[in-house]
Amino acid sequence: MSLLTDPIRHHWNYYKERPFGRLVRLFVERIFRGGGDSDTEGLDLGIGLVLTLLAMPGGFVSILLFDKYGSLLQWLRGQKNVDTLLIAFPDEYFFIVLSMTVTGAIAVWRWDSIFPDRRDYMNLVHLPIATRTVFLANLVAVLFLVGLVAMDVNAASCVLFPMVVSASQSHFLFFVKFAAVHALGVVLSSVFVFFAVFCVLGLLMAVLPPQTFRRASAYVRGVVVVYLVALLCTSFMVPELLRRAKGPAPAWTFLMPSCWFVGLCQLLRGRANQALTEVAMLCLPGFFLVVAVALCMYAIGYRKYFVRIAEMTEGAATTHRWQKSQVGVLLDHLVLKSPMQKACFRFVGKTLQRSETHRLVMTGVAGLALVLASQALMNAYEGGRPAREAALSADALSIPFIITFLLIVGLRLVFEIPVDLQANWIFQLTVDADRQESEPLARKVILVSVLPWIAAITFGVYSRLEGGAVAVLHTVVVVVWTVLLTNIMLVRFRKIPFTCSMPVFKQHSIVILIAFCFGFLIYVGSTAEFEASALTEPLRMLELLPVAAMAWYIPHHLKGSTIDLEKRLIYEESAARTVELLRLSE
Amino acid sequence: MLEAVRLTKSYSSLPAVQELSFTLRPGQVLGCLGPNGSGKSTTVKMLTGLLEPTRGVVQFDGHNIRDDLASYRARLGYVPEEAHLYPYLTGWEYLEMIGTLRGMPRRNIELKIDSLLQLFSLHPARHGTIGTYSKGMRQRVLLIAAIMHDPEIFIFDEPLSGLDVTSALIFKNLVQALGRSGKLVFYCSHVLEVVEKVCTDVLILRKGVVIAHDTVANVGQILGQSLENTFLHLVDDVDTTRVARDIVDVMRAA
Repeated sequence: MSLLTDPIRHHWNYYKERPFGRLVRLFVERIFRGGGDSDTEGLDLGIGLVLTLLAMPGGFVSILLFDKYGSLLQWLRGQKNVDTLLIAFPDEYFFIVLSMTVTGAIAVWRWDSIFPDRRDYMNLVHLPIATRTVFLANLVAVLFLVGLVAMDVNAASCVLFPMVVSASQSHFLFFVKFAAVHALGVVLSSVFVFFAVFCVLGLLMAVLPPQTFRRASAYVRGVVVVYLVALLCTSFMVPELLRRAKGPAPAWTFLMPSCWFVGLCQLLRGRANQALTEVAMLCLPGFFLVVAVALCMYAIGYRKYFVRIAEMTEGAATTHRWQKSQVGVLLDHLVLKSPMQKACFRFVGKTLQRSETHRLVMTGVAGLALVLASQALMNAYEGGRPAREAALSADALSIPFIITFLLIVGLRLVFEIPVDLQANWIFQLTVDADRQESEPLARKVILVSVLPWIAAITFGVYSRLEGGAVAVLHTVVVVVWTVLLTNIMLVRFRKIPFTCSMPVFKQHSIVILIAFCFGFLIYVGSTAEFEASALTEPLRMLELLPVAAMAWYIPHHLKGSTIDLEKRLIYEESAARTVELLRLSE
Repeated sequence: MLEAVRLTKSYSSLPAVQELSFTLRPGQVLGCLGPNGSGKSTTVKMLTGLLEPTRGVVQFDGHNIRDDLASYRARLGYVPEEAHLYPYLTGWEYLEMIGTLRGMPRRNIELKIDSLLQLFSLHPARHGTIGTYSKGMRQRVLLIAAIMHDPEIFIFDEPLSGLDVTSALIFKNLVQALGRSGKLVFYCSHVLEVVEKVCTDVLILRKGVVIAHDTVANVGQILGQSLENTFLHLVDDVDTTRVARDIVDVMRAA
């Protein structure tokens, strides 16, 4: 064995330490750890942790499917002669869209680090290395990254899902065949979506001037994130539509690459209907076209940006006119009481607008809210119900609750993501840590950014469709629920958003995650169901008062019972230690 | 009057600063010198209240600054060693945020920012994001942020880093003017000539301990030499010419 491995190891070590190998390593590390043009944003996760996080969704979903495919459970449920491949079809589609969503999100997230930046330029161009060597090394690093992400994202599902599906099968060959086709489908779809994102952004990069591209890039990436979230949500409906399709493939399937790849899997298994066969034919040409275009865009982008970095001025200041916002002045007078709140409110607003990481997370959350709200709207109108009737259904009533829940949770989450931690010295120096103003500040940020427009739209739509009384009642419930949820989300919040290190992973984090899911069901589902039955009898709405009172009392009580030391503003999250050193010698 | 009384700071039992005591009176410009790792930055962080001393106190007008840190910091202007700023904010927005955090009236903030940006030649770039600024531009933003609220105490940690010749000259004159107008200035630097020129007194640290504290003139007179030679004699007993020669030898070795 060592006769075979020793020469390989020897060659690997030799090439690894050659200039080209060292460059590839440098670029791989840069892509994982972020670029150098801008200061780091504090979300520097280790490579190992990133890979583990990426592999987790596929693994979890596979494990959850044991229940569906276990032969004993099928027998207990009275399911006989189950067609395993037929029931695996929607799950396979789900794995394909999951793989596309996760890989696409990685491509969007790491886009800024894909090209060598000014720091690389300054460090490399004076060395005796040809620019084409830098180009090739970065290309190899990108290809390595694509392969690694595609393998990692799908590793768990490529093993666990076929195992789960073939649990009730007696032939090992079934497992092997199923696993091979599944792996081909998910890995190809991963690579495809990575290069597709590359194509879209690369095309813009090639066409637009650098300044315009920088501004447009953020919005385009936001659109891509919304598309990816929407793609994930198609897994609820599309497999059934594809399975039932009679005759030629519907036009919409040609626009959805996820259908091509699931079609390919079905074709290779000999289970494709006419529609799936047709879309499967697009798979390979589409894949190679996207890869080819992406590589061309990469070459053009490299030439346009990296080779000409020296020609681009570093300190080019934009000279757009500064306009004093009247809304800001109004907020200063009515909402924001202290200098700290005034300054930090603007800081939070600008960070949410301009910080890439925060904007992407919020775009993803807003995209999810949009998709879920659209689904609720579609359900409300199912069966061609008239607008007035549909508006009073639980589905339609749940829309503002879906949006407020996700936006509030999303904002609370992004508050925890730090931005340039080293720059927080100015807050440490100027903000009184004992004045406990961070929670009111965060509450004001959330309520000002969520409440006015959602209340206005809810009231406007319902007053037009159902009249003033229903509109007022529904809007009041939405407003009160938003305020109460915000209060609950900010229990023991004691940091200026974005200025504190990331919270450490705690054992109860999983419990918190499950609590969020239950919270969503109660906040959205139960409230909308209750409203649907009570809006026509306004007095019944009073039944919500005890619930509201309890939701107000709990955070209020918790706040009162917290000692002053735990209300102090913090800039660093520390893990609770099992053993605390007294440091008596100091 | 700002007083450091037997300040000591240890990190995991390793002392960074030991028994440091000095007094800074109105009108005095105290230069702090020392090689890397001598405890200058730790001292500055304790003086600004960013770091709590392991032992000893910093007193301002006879009161421990930690008893009312907020009001002490309201009277403090600080320029840190590294220009860590939020790169996505514009220069104007950053300074406006600082002015608001310091509780300055809005009209005053705008007037001061506008004037100071003009004086520091940053006005044309005021609406560009800090991420696009050069090191010197960032440093000038920090300087404006430190002086715009007219503080009583100034703590400058390597303030000339990255500044061009004109800005550096303006700043050196500014420090002298601040001293003359009765402000308290604590000035940390590696550049001996600047300390010699702008400071009235000098404090030399080595391995966290004060090895000299006197007026600039007196410290030089100890050995009858320039401040540079006195510094080298007190701090690093190193033959710099020989070290340079050794470096060239290593460089040329096959």
